[in-house]
Amino acid sequence: MDFTLTNFIFYGFALMTVGSALLVVTVRNIVHAAFSLMVTLFGVAGLYVFLQADFLAATQVIVYVGGILVLILFGVMMTSGRLEMRIHIERGQLLLGGVVALALLTLLLTVIANTPAWKNLTDDGTELPPTTEKIGELILNGPFLLPFEVVSVLLLVALIGAALISRKEVRD
Amino acid sequence: MTLQHYLVISAILFTLGIFAVLTRRNAISILMGIELILNSCNLNFAAFSRFMTPSEDISGQIIAIFGIVLAAAEAAVFLAIILAIYREFGSIRPDEVDTLKG
Amino acid sequence: MVVPLISIILLCPLAAFAIFGLLGLANRRFPRQDYLSTAAMLIALACSFLLLREVVPSPEAHTVDWLSLGGVTFSMGFYLDSVTVIMLIVVTLVSSLVHIFSMGYMHGDPRYPRFFAYLSLFSFSMLFLVVSDNLLGIYIGWELVGLCSYLLIGFWFEKDSAANACKKAFLTTRVGDVGMFIGMMMLFKQFKTLSLYGDGIFTRITNPEYFTADATGIVWLSIAGVLIFCGAIGKSAQMPLHTWLPDAMEGPTPVSALIHAATMVAAGVYLTARMFPILTETSSLVIAYVGGITALVAATIAIVRFDIKRVLAYSTISQLGYMMLAIGAGSYVAGLFHLTTHAFFKALLFLGSGSVIHAFHAMHAHAHDDEHDHEHADSEEHILGSEIPPDQDMRNMGGLRHKMPITFVTMLIATLSISGVPFIFSGFWSKDAILGGVLGRAMEWNSAHHYILFGMALCAAGITAFYMFRLIFMTFFGEPRNQEMHDMAHESPKSMTVPLLILAFLSLPVVNILWFNEAYVKPPPQPHLHAPQHAYIAPDGNTGGKGYAVSLFGVSEAVAAEEEGGHSTDGTHADDGHHGHGPAHTIAMVLSIIVAGLGIFLSWLFYHRRTLSAESVATTCRPLYNLFWHKYYFDEFYDGVLVTLTVWKARLFAQFDGSVVDGIVNGVGFVTRDLLAAFTGAFDNRVVDGIVNRVAQVTWAVGGRIRRIQTGAIQTYLFVVLAGIVLLILIFRAL
Repeated sequence: MDFTLTNFIFYGFALMTVGSALLVVTVRNIVHAAFSLMVTLFGVAGLYVFLQADFLAATQVIVYVGGILVLILFGVMMTSGRLEMRIHIERGQLLLGGVVALALLTLLLTVIANTPAWKNLTDDGTELPPTTEKIGELILNGPFLLPFEVVSVLLLVALIGAALISRKEVRD
Repeated sequence: MTLQHYLVISAILFTLGIFAVLTRRNAISILMGIELILNSCNLNFAAFSRFMTPSEDISGQIIAIFGIVLAAAEAAVFLAIILAIYREFGSIRPDEVDTLKG
Repeated sequence: MVVPLISIILLCPLAAFAIFGLLGLANRRFPRQDYLSTAAMLIALACSFLLLREVVPSPEAHTVDWLSLGGVTFSMGFYLDSVTVIMLIVVTLVSSLVHIFSMGYMHGDPRYPRFFAYLSLFSFSMLFLVVSDNLLGIYIGWELVGLCSYLLIGFWFEKDSAANACKKAFLTTRVGDVGMFIGMMMLFKQFKTLSLYGDGIFTRITNPEYFTADATGIVWLSIAGVLIFCGAIGKSAQMPLHTWLPDAMEGPTPVSALIHAATMVAAGVYLTARMFPILTETSSLVIAYVGGITALVAATIAIVRFDIKRVLAYSTISQLGYMMLAIGAGSYVAGLFHLTTHAFFKALLFLGSGSVIHAFHAMHAHAHDDEHDHEHADSEEHILGSEIPPDQDMRNMGGLRHKMPITFVTMLIATLSISGVPFIFSGFWSKDAILGGVLGRAMEWNSAHHYILFGMALCAAGITAFYMFRLIFMTFFGEPRNQEMHDMAHESPKSMTVPLLILAFLSLPVVNILWFNEAYVKPPPQPHLHAPQHAYIAPDGNTGGKGYAVSLFGVSEAVAAEEEGGHSTDGTHADDGHHGHGPAHTIAMVLSIIVAGLGIFLSWLFYHRRTLSAESVATTCRPLYNLFWHKYYFDEFYDGVLVTLTVWKARLFAQFDGSVVDGIVNGVGFVTRDLLAAFTGAFDNRVVDGIVNRVAQVTWAVGGRIRRIQTGAIQTYLFVVLAGIVLLILIFRAL
């Protein structure tokens, strides 16, 4: 494995992603966890860039970091007092969860390592033109028009539903 | 970079997400775990799109975008439910919300 | 024109009733049901008079197929001949007058509108019966008439006596109806139809395809005829089913008038006359004897009655006997003639008596519950168990002619008419027609039977005159026997007196002559009635004569002879009396005048001059008096024999029911309950319940354990799910 700059940056992003994700699941302070999550999301965005998915990376940053993470922070602030900021973890549960997670990880890694079709597929390094135009074509004038419309309606419904559920109930 | 690099990162993210969902005693932490899982999925889509199909075909990316949209919707609903639960039970600890306990 | 007219005649009264019924369903009421019903009847009356002109040329039947059952089609339709039209006029006329009379008589009754609705239905039923051209239609009308009489006789059903009377009327006539129905079925079996005209029974009776007139056939036809006549016995109150009619007096008096004059009892006579063509010698004789005996017996009973309405009731029975006798003796025209004249004067008598009762009733309402109720109910009445209402007891009356002049005069006319006072009263002509007809048949056939019948009729005529004048003398002449009641009596209102006057006019023979002219009513042929071998045959070959009654009205003999010739050539009899101006009618007329005069004279001696004492005669002839007083013990017989037998039979059945049937039932019950049920109960409790309980226990226990799985903690669930997935993958991977 040669340590080119690309490789270096890739491993940097990979490490950043995995490491911050590890923090997300381990730190006791929920606000810290949230910020770790932000780092993870940025790392994933970086990996998208390596996959020639520039539009996807931008969306990842805008939606996740700008939207979902803010939402999560709002949630934290509205539901947790100062004492609640700490996340309770039980030892036994931690153990069981760890076992299952490890088993799952082992399983996944085994599958990844042993699936022949996935072996030795290297990046051919072709540079794609910016994907925004193509994605726009596919979504708005191509086979993904219907899913796009459906998913937009889904988003609308989810937002209305969320507003409905979270509003203060007017009791009479 | 090979496909397996991405898949391994994705698998680790997925496992960490599952671990968070299983162990964290805070609903918002669980939400974070779910977000990790969703990210690992999106990463998989993008990676498979890059490695398994001709480079002009970027359907996988579009599916990933849809996944992001889903994640946004899911997060909104999830937080709304958390708020409702919080109003009802005064807590967002999933082990305390066990009305369905047999 | 005929069909629409008949439709109007039928529909008017039906509509009047239907309006009452339909509004009644909606709990509403037509404001003036009395006007409605009366108007309907008057329209029907007008249409009937219009029909009079229409039908002269020839009888006609209008039929439609009504329903098909198997291979047989029943038709419904009208048959119109002169008799139908005359009956229509009689029914509608009397009914109209009764309607008008009722407006006064029933005024203030709580069920006043219902009364008129019933009257309408009654009239409709009778009219339907009259115009039907087949036995089925007649039977429908027949039963409807029975139903209406039930409703109207029991109109004051609060009174026990009225409730009993209507039941009695219904059940008694029902006895006859059973016979009639069997007769109908016999005819149906033989002739495959119930239609009478057209290609009906009367045509097929001479058709060898359907009927052979051998000895068996004649016997069979006689039985059928007698059975049909049974219906008439019930409806027209002939012996021995006459007992319901006097009890029917419990109904309001206008109803009595309607029943006695125009509808109910006339139906029986009408039916018998309609069935005239199927009568054989035997069945004719049976009918004649039943009629004759009824005429005589009822008349003798009437002598000793004190209840003004009962006297009239028995007189009705007696007169109906006359009509039956006439039809049985072949005097078809005379019988129907008497039916019409009787309808008018009997309606008049009843309405007149109603007027008297009404006068007393007003008083009675004032001084109700005073001792009169008991004072005048003598011991013998107690034995009978039926007290005479004081306002109907002739012993409370007397001297009313000054108080109620119109009622008196009109009732006197009716009495003169029924008594057969000569020449200016209709009853004389019709009664003489019957007497002459019977005597004529007797002479013509040289038949002892008919001489006996003639004797009976003659006696009945004399007795009729006697008791009718007894009624008049006791009611209107002499001194008031009950001063208090007398003082309260008054003439009735106009709505009641006007019908009386009209009926009085109709009791004069003018109108009757118009109807019974030669060309109008012809007796139908009787193909299976043959004169006995020893019958007297007139030298000129005429075996039957055109109506004696007709000849009395000045019809030329030549026409009559022509008719006779026509009948004799086709070998059938059309007897209606005897031939020409033979000696029979003269003899009958003279005898009839003599007995009528004798009856009136005796009545005058007994009840006006009082030279003879009715009490002393009654004492002298105690057994006879008792026989009359107890109405020949018919009611006692029915009570004593039939009722006792029925009760005894019922007891027997009850005992059988109680011991055998109940025993079986109880035995089965014992086996079921104490043996089978105990066993199945134990099985149920132990085995079935045991299984069920055990299943429940197991379920409960398992559930108690399993419920712990449900922690309610979603993380646990997820953990299990994931662990399961991992395990499954590992397992299948290993495989």
